This record gives sequence, structure tokens and C-alpha cells, in this order.
Amino acid sequence: MIKMAKKLEKVPTGVSGFDEISHGGLPRGRTTLVSGTSGSGKTVLAAQFLYKGIVNSGENGIFVTFEETPMDIIRNTKGFGWNIEKMTKENKWAFVDASPDDTDNVAVGQYDLGGFLARIEYAIKKVRAKRIAIDSVSALFTHFQDPGIIRHELYRVGARLKALNMTCIMTAERPTEEGQISRFGVEEFVSDNVILLHNRLNGRGERERTIEILKFRGSGHDSEEAPLIVGGEGMSTYPRPKPQLRGKGSTQKISTGIKGLDELLAGGIYKNSTTLVTGASGTGKTVTTLHFVMEGAERGEKCLMIEFEESPGQLYRNAFSFGWNLKEHEKKGVAQLICHYPEDLKAEQYLRMIQALVIKNKSKRLALDSLSALQRIYGEEKFREFVIGLNAFLKMRNVTSLFTNTTNQLLGITEITETHLSTITDNIIILKYVELGGEMRRLLSVLKQRGSMHKKELMEYEIGPKGLNILGPFEGVENLMSGSARKVEIRFDEEEAEREFMKESTKGRI
Amino acid sequence: MAGKNVLKLYVTGQTPNSQRALRNLENILNNELKGLYELKVIDVLERPQLAEDDKILATPTLVKILPAPVRKIIGDLSDKEKILLGLDLTLEKEK
Repeated sequence: MIKMAKKLEKVPTGVSGFDEISHGGLPRGRTTLVSGTSGSGKTVLAAQFLYKGIVNSGENGIFVTFEETPMDIIRNTKGFGWNIEKMTKENKWAFVDASPDDTDNVAVGQYDLGGFLARIEYAIKKVRAKRIAIDSVSALFTHFQDPGIIRHELYRVGARLKALNMTCIMTAERPTEEGQISRFGVEEFVSDNVILLHNRLNGRGERERTIEILKFRGSGHDSEEAPLIVGGEGMSTYPRPKPQLRGKGSTQKISTGIKGLDELLAGGIYKNSTTLVTGASGTGKTVTTLHFVMEGAERGEKCLMIEFEESPGQLYRNAFSFGWNLKEHEKKGVAQLICHYPEDLKAEQYLRMIQALVIKNKSKRLALDSLSALQRIYGEEKFREFVIGLNAFLKMRNVTSLFTNTTNQLLGITEITETHLSTITDNIIILKYVELGGEMRRLLSVLKQRGSMHKKELMEYEIGPKGLNILGPFEGVENLMSGSARKVEIRFDEEEAEREFMKESTKGRI
Repeated sequence: MAGKNVLKLYVTGQTPNSQRALRNLENILNNELKGLYELKVIDVLERPQLAEDDKILATPTLVKILPAPVRKIIGDLSDKEKILLGLDLTLEKEK
């Protein structure tokens, strides 16, 4: 009879995001080598694997430390809110202390690592451990002069841990970011599973850490490098969302909160669609956002508003001036306002934060004001990843979203396609200033609505006492989209108007 | 030298290395350092906590605590000169 090979069980690491790319965690009962240059986060990963094992899975752990003392590790992880000292007292966590001391070591004749193995086994028994981290095996090679013995002994340690069904992380030093996987070629005899931690300088002179699964023998994993961040409550990774997570389209329309706009959109925007409102500073993007949020809140739909441009105080005041009590909705729990400086967090962290909030609050509408604030900070590639990641997540959760985008140009046409935004948004609404007859007027137009008819008229609007109010189509004028319109009948010196405007604008708000 | 100093020899059970180390060491103690040292043999399989306290990785390991400095000599102790040198005992021997 043929015995079916049992599917390899995985052990969750508790490193958020990593368990996704590793399809569940580290292979149970096996050793995984974690190799990386100095400062790439090996010790944190090893410690977190044990810490989360105790907290989340009730699996006790052994930390074998060759470089830092147990006291160092306890102190250095306190910042994450971890109390490892308490865990050692509760016999959930045990250290095997192999950190350097000041005694001299002389080798005379044959030896093995019997003492090391005995201490490991003793510690395992003492706390009934299921997990073990050895940080780092490279130190053994510098501690003892004979690499042949150490190779052999490490092999023996690995075999013993396997026999005890221990899930093990061994860390190894990588000399440089390129070239060999680990110093002394540890990966060749220690493990079938190899994870690389990268720590590189990016184009803007910032350190960027990533994690990559090089191989998991007999077990699935993603092969891309995922960004890694150490801070807050430990280490987190941020894998890109998978394309198959795209949600299905909806046929149900919901209101934007602006009556005239809903008419242009033939009844509103589709549920779970993405809308981009783009316009220069002062055209009313935040007001549009508030309309969208208040409309949802008043219907009892949970709304989340992420604000990067204004403070909560300003926003409450603004909303109040249009007759909306945003605070009241917040108290009731239908609306939630998050105001941040975009510099506060990295793109991946914002993505995680928004995802966590949407899940926690079961949000149905999300407004983000503005995307351009993030774009300014993150640079093109990170920004694109953020937008695509967020969008995929929102589609999957059936959240209807509205993003704003601030254009630099006050008049004229802005290239939306340049910002990668056009392809992922379902609806694009343009707000802009036009100069007409020596006056600044405001123009709204629906540039596209995916899967639905929409009116293509150019509408005039005002920001009135009840928010954004659509007055009606511009009539009898042409060349509106260029920014400087003219009445059809009247001759109009465009260049003169341009000069006039420049003069105006140097005095004004631009 | 006042009083007896203790040498600890950490071994793993009855492995050939351990047995060789013990034989070699007893030889030295009996012939070269008569009565100077008391030897304690510790099996790491039976007393792992002691191995933890003395931070023993390799076996066999000979530990000399006193006189300072603490010295560890690992291996089967097959070279007498090196042992004596390692224990800072060359002078003692000449006396």
C-alpha cells in the first residue's frame, strides 16, 4: 500500500504578513535558516517567532543566543511591549546563553558540541518547548577554529531537533547583500528551508528592509520580496495583495451626496467602485469628500475618512459651516475620522492601518483626502503599490471609495494618466477653475464612469452654504477645459487673458 | 600555593573523546601536579544546569576557575605541554 505523504504542517510566526507569503508559517518540525547582513532584523525575527508562539499559539520556546546576552535581548524587545523576563519566570521561555564571556578557549585534541546539545535538550525539557531559535550559527564558526567539526556538529543538532519535532529558526550572517547566501555556506547542510532578509539603501538614501523566502522544501510559498518594517509591536511584513482578490462589480448605485452630481452620473456611483476627484487647491475636493461621507453616515453606512490635508478641528469646523455635525456621527460610530501627517507612517503601514480599520469597523465607504499628499512623500513606485494594494483590498471588502487628488495646475488640463490613478479608478470627476469674462468660475465634469452612461456636460458649480451646489451647464462658451474660456460671439485675446491671469495669481492665493 | 584548586572536566557520557580526556588528565594530575588539584568530573547529560552555568558548549571541556584567570581547555587533552601552558602551570612545574 502506498502511504500518502502528509501535507507539511505550518507553524505561524506571528510576523504579520509573513504568514501569508509563507502560506501559513514555517514548516513544522523543521529547521529554517534565516540569513541576512548585519542589521537586517534576524534577531528580532527569531525572538518574535518565539514570543508570538507563546502568546498566540501557547507553544513555549528556547532562545539560544551567541551574540547578545539574554539581558540584552530582554531589554531590546521591551520597546515592542514584550515582557520576555516574565515569560522566563513562568517557564515559557528559556535562554541557552552562549554569549561571549572573557574566558580564553584553547583547543587541545578532539572535541564535539555535546555540552551545547545537552543544554539545548535540557532547556527544551524544562519548558516543554515546541519552538527554538539559534542566533546565530555563524558565531559557532568564529568561536571554534575547526569548521569541519562545527559543520558535523550542526548537522547533528539539526537531526536531534528534528527527532524532537522542534520547529527551529537558525540565523546566519550574510557577508554582503550580493553573492553567497551565508558565511561558511551554512545553508548547504543546515536546512532545506531558507529565508533571506535584505537591508539595502534605496535611491533616496533610506534603509529598506525586505524578506524573501528562497526555498521551502516540499511546501508552497510566494517568491516575491516583501517589505519589512521593525517598530511598533515588533516586525511586520507587507506583501503585495494578490490580483485574484479583485472583487466583483456591483450593479447597485449609491449617492455621492451631491444631487446634481448624481444626475450627471445617471443615478450615482456604483457600490464598491473607486472614484477619483481631481482638482486644484481650493476647488472643493474636501467638501466633496464630506458630502460623500455625510451621505453614507446619514444612511447608517459605516464611513471611514482618512484626512491628510486638514486637522480634525478644521474639518469639524468646515463640516459644521455646511450644516453637518460630523462629530455627532463619530460619536454614534457611523463615521470615523483619522487625521494624520502623511509623513507619520510608511506607505505599507498606512495600508495596514486602513485595512485594519476597515475590517474592525466594517466600513462601507472610505474617503481619502488626498492621495497626492502620499504621492509627494513616497515616490512613484511605493505610491503605486499603495494605491493598487488599497484598491484591491477595498474591492474585496465591497467598500465604495472616494479619493482626492490635488493638481498643481490651477487652470488647464492635468494629465491624470501620469499618476497611475486613471487605470485603477472607476470614476473620475474633475473640478477646476475657469476664467470667464474676467471672473474665476468653477467647473465640474465627469470624465469617466466605468460600466455606466454619464453626462458629459461641463457644469458650473459653487461652494454654497450647503456645500457643493451644481448650478447648471456653461452655455455659450467654448474652450473651457483649457482654463481660459471665451464666449463664442466675442473675440477674446487669449494671450492677454493669460497675462492678466498671471498678474492676478501672483497677488492671489496661488 | 595555598589550598587545593578545583579543576572541572565536563564530559558527555562515555564517548571516546570523554574517556580519552579523562585518562590524559588523570595522567597529568598524578605525574606532574601531584596533589595540587582536585578533579571534578561532570557529565553534561546528568548535570546540564552546571553546563549552563559554566557556559559549556564543547565536550570535553576542562575548566580552571582558580587561580585566576578562568581558563577553558576543550578537546581530549592529548597534548600535555599545551595543557600545562593552558593552565598557566609552566612556572609551577619548574619549581
